[in-house]
Amino acid sequence: MEELGIQILKSAVSGLIMGLVFALVALGLTVIFGVMDIVNFAHGEFLMVGMYTTLLTSPLLGVDPVLTLPLAGLVGAVLGVMCYFGLIRFLLRGPMIAQLFGTFGLMIFLRNLALLFMGSEPRIVHEGWLVGKSILVGPGVVLESTKVAAAALSLISFAVVWWFINRTRVGKAITATSLDAEGARYMGISTEYMNALAWAVGGASVGVAGGLLVNFWPVEPGVGLLFTMIAFATVALGGFGSVRGALVAGILIGFIVNLPPVWDAILRSIDAAGLRGLEIHSFKYTMVYAVYFLIMVLRPQGLFGWKQ
Amino acid sequence: MALLQVNNVTKRFGGLVANHEVSFQVDQDEVVGLIGPNGAGKTTLFNCIAGFYPLTSGNVVFDGENITGLSDFQVARLGLARTFQIFQASGDLKVVENVMVGSFMRTSSRGGAREVALEVMDFLGIVDTAGEMMTELPVAAQKRVALATALASDPKLLLLDEVGAGLNPSEIDGLIELLQRVHGERGVALLLTEHVLEMVMKLSHRVIVLESGRKIAEGEPATVVKDPEVVRAYLGDHYVKRQKENGDA
Amino acid sequence: MEAVKNAFDFGDMPRSELGLAAAALAFLLWFPAMPHSSFGMATMIQFLMFSLYGMGWNLIGGYGGQVDLGKAQYVGIGAYTTAVMMIRWDVPFWFSMPVGMALAVGWSFIIGYPLFRLKGHYFAIATIATSLVLKDLFEVWDFVGGARGLEIPMKGDMPNWLYLQFREDYYYYYILLGMFLIGLIYMNGFRHSRLGYQLRAIKDNEHVARSLGIDVHWSKIKAYAVATAYVAMVGSFHACYNFNIEPEDTMSLDLSVLIAMMAMLGGAGSMWGPIIGAAILVPMKNYLGSWLGGQAGFAGMDLAMYGLIIMVIAAAQPRGVYGIVEAVRARRR
Repeated sequence: MEELGIQILKSAVSGLIMGLVFALVALGLTVIFGVMDIVNFAHGEFLMVGMYTTLLTSPLLGVDPVLTLPLAGLVGAVLGVMCYFGLIRFLLRGPMIAQLFGTFGLMIFLRNLALLFMGSEPRIVHEGWLVGKSILVGPGVVLESTKVAAAALSLISFAVVWWFINRTRVGKAITATSLDAEGARYMGISTEYMNALAWAVGGASVGVAGGLLVNFWPVEPGVGLLFTMIAFATVALGGFGSVRGALVAGILIGFIVNLPPVWDAILRSIDAAGLRGLEIHSFKYTMVYAVYFLIMVLRPQGLFGWKQ
Repeated sequence: MALLQVNNVTKRFGGLVANHEVSFQVDQDEVVGLIGPNGAGKTTLFNCIAGFYPLTSGNVVFDGENITGLSDFQVARLGLARTFQIFQASGDLKVVENVMVGSFMRTSSRGGAREVALEVMDFLGIVDTAGEMMTELPVAAQKRVALATALASDPKLLLLDEVGAGLNPSEIDGLIELLQRVHGERGVALLLTEHVLEMVMKLSHRVIVLESGRKIAEGEPATVVKDPEVVRAYLGDHYVKRQKENGDA
Repeated sequence: MEAVKNAFDFGDMPRSELGLAAAALAFLLWFPAMPHSSFGMATMIQFLMFSLYGMGWNLIGGYGGQVDLGKAQYVGIGAYTTAVMMIRWDVPFWFSMPVGMALAVGWSFIIGYPLFRLKGHYFAIATIATSLVLKDLFEVWDFVGGARGLEIPMKGDMPNWLYLQFREDYYYYYILLGMFLIGLIYMNGFRHSRLGYQLRAIKDNEHVARSLGIDVHWSKIKAYAVATAYVAMVGSFHACYNFNIEPEDTMSLDLSVLIAMMAMLGGAGSMWGPIIGAAILVPMKNYLGSWLGGQAGFAGMDLAMYGLIIMVIAAAQPRGVYGIVEAVRARRR
């Protein structure tokens, strides 16, 4: 019984932490989608770029990985804007199929560029004042400090983005464009500029998320796909376009992903013979995909979505 | 028995009442016009009848069957065809192929579908354009193709949503003649909404007037047009007073 | 039967296209007799496989207008059915292939029903999701060998027509070519069928299609099922040709993407598009891969280029190579 209790606590805390990181990853996607109806298949690849940025610049500049976060964010923002002007802008004019393929091509392109320049072995941050240290939270629950820091910083990033969108003039302009681009234009708000800005903000958020993630999750060229899927599931659950939704949904998905160990622990505590086969520890991410599917079929607007 | 019976149909979108307890009927041998100022709820009513929108309350009976709650494609298969206000030309298909999509509703044979399509196009005078691409046709011709497509499905009742829009006077005359033949020679009942009052007057046996979601008048075209309620709806109270002052009967 | 007549009716295609197609067919028939390397033969076989995958994809992605990025799961179902039946119960290929197709089609109906409530990006992502779920499942399921996959043992002497085991590639080539021709003719018939017309109407404007009595949801599911059959058929072949299958090479997202990419590049929505796309990308991938991939440090360059090509085409001419051809033709009129 005690094992179950510990496991639940472990999973809950782990879920919260991971969930906050997922939320930050998804934030960029939802901001972009709020402003223009395009879904970026290459979103996970932006994350990967952020991860590589921190991985490489930290030892290069001799600073702690945490300090490279602004740089990761900047790289993400620049990448976002470049993609907007170099590709997305054209895709918006075309049929939706073209948009899908366009961002898909971008995904393949970025992923394989990384393969070309970075090689395929997974790499993770090894040096930093948080790396390797852990915090004890409650009985038997040990957390890596990097994860805790990531969660905290993610929360801060959310606050920053939220403040930007709701309290600054530019942010409100973005909201105006998401609600009615044409009307906003009559008010003197350039849609082009807002689009580019959305990609900058989106790119920056996911870049920072990458910078945080690489402290405890190895990066390799193919890492993007999983997080793209997680981001989609998160945004779908939270509601496309909703910042608040991304936060709540991210945490929920963090919990869901950490459910299997609890399930397995329940099975073990019941100690029912024959049920062993139902242990699902290897199905973690399957659940995320399944969640996405279920949401889209049952409640497409998600929890807080106003756009569909 | 009436071909189409609309009974107390109400359609609400959230707080907005688009149709309020509208009732009327259409017989197989009739052409009925539906008019009213902009925003009166005509297209909404069409969509409700054709199964595009679910009704908030009321029911619709078509050819003896209660079709309330059926989806639009099911309604279409029962013989209730419609045209749309906004017509997007299909870039991919040739004209005859477009019309065949209509005739395919009644047959699964390509040869058979093509035959019916060509026959209908011949009837409507556009058979020469069979091999052309839709995007190459002028608007008036595209409308005829839309009409042909709907007709190819062999409907009992055809709902025409502002088919006269955007046409010049001679095109309108042509359309009126065409629709008279569609009704007279092919026995299709027509329910049309129009802003081009000339069409309504010349084609309809009966006219129904909607305003703000409610039916405010019904009767023969000449009578309805002079109905003070109708005049008020279109032109305002001012003109009703004037009408009375001039002793208009 | 009209359906058969329809299948052979190429009359609505321009003479020039038919001429080229006939020339290409002659080439395909003669190829094994021409001097070629084993690498070249392998490339041709891959080309035929991807053409068939692409044709299947095209039914729902091109004619149907809904981008499907989860086709690989059906490759897997076809491949694994054949492999398992062959290994455990000695079932010949010619029986296991239809069974594989039936299973795949069955699965496609099950997920198709909820799947086609979605459109656009949401649909595409959902197809990825279902495909990955199935792949995950196969990776932990012992019955199909888990992540290690299955190895198909030799069943006696070669050439073995029952189990499709041959020493020389040209046997495989001609069997596949036969499938290719059947697939092509079936596609032509499909294009002329009621469902074919309805799909195009749906792709154009769903509302109008519905007002013409078309059950959009069901039509899409049907088209999806046919597409699945194509893909599963080739999947079965793949198992026999490769002698060795695992989830990573039969059910990966990369494969799904490759299939979609080839069809899109060549021109989704046209009959020759998928074939053109495969004809361009398969040789390019193979030769580029062998030239560059052999040199360390260039891995990924070939796919990076494809990504670039896709981006450019998506931005400039979403209708692919065939779209370019059509545009040129239209301007000449």
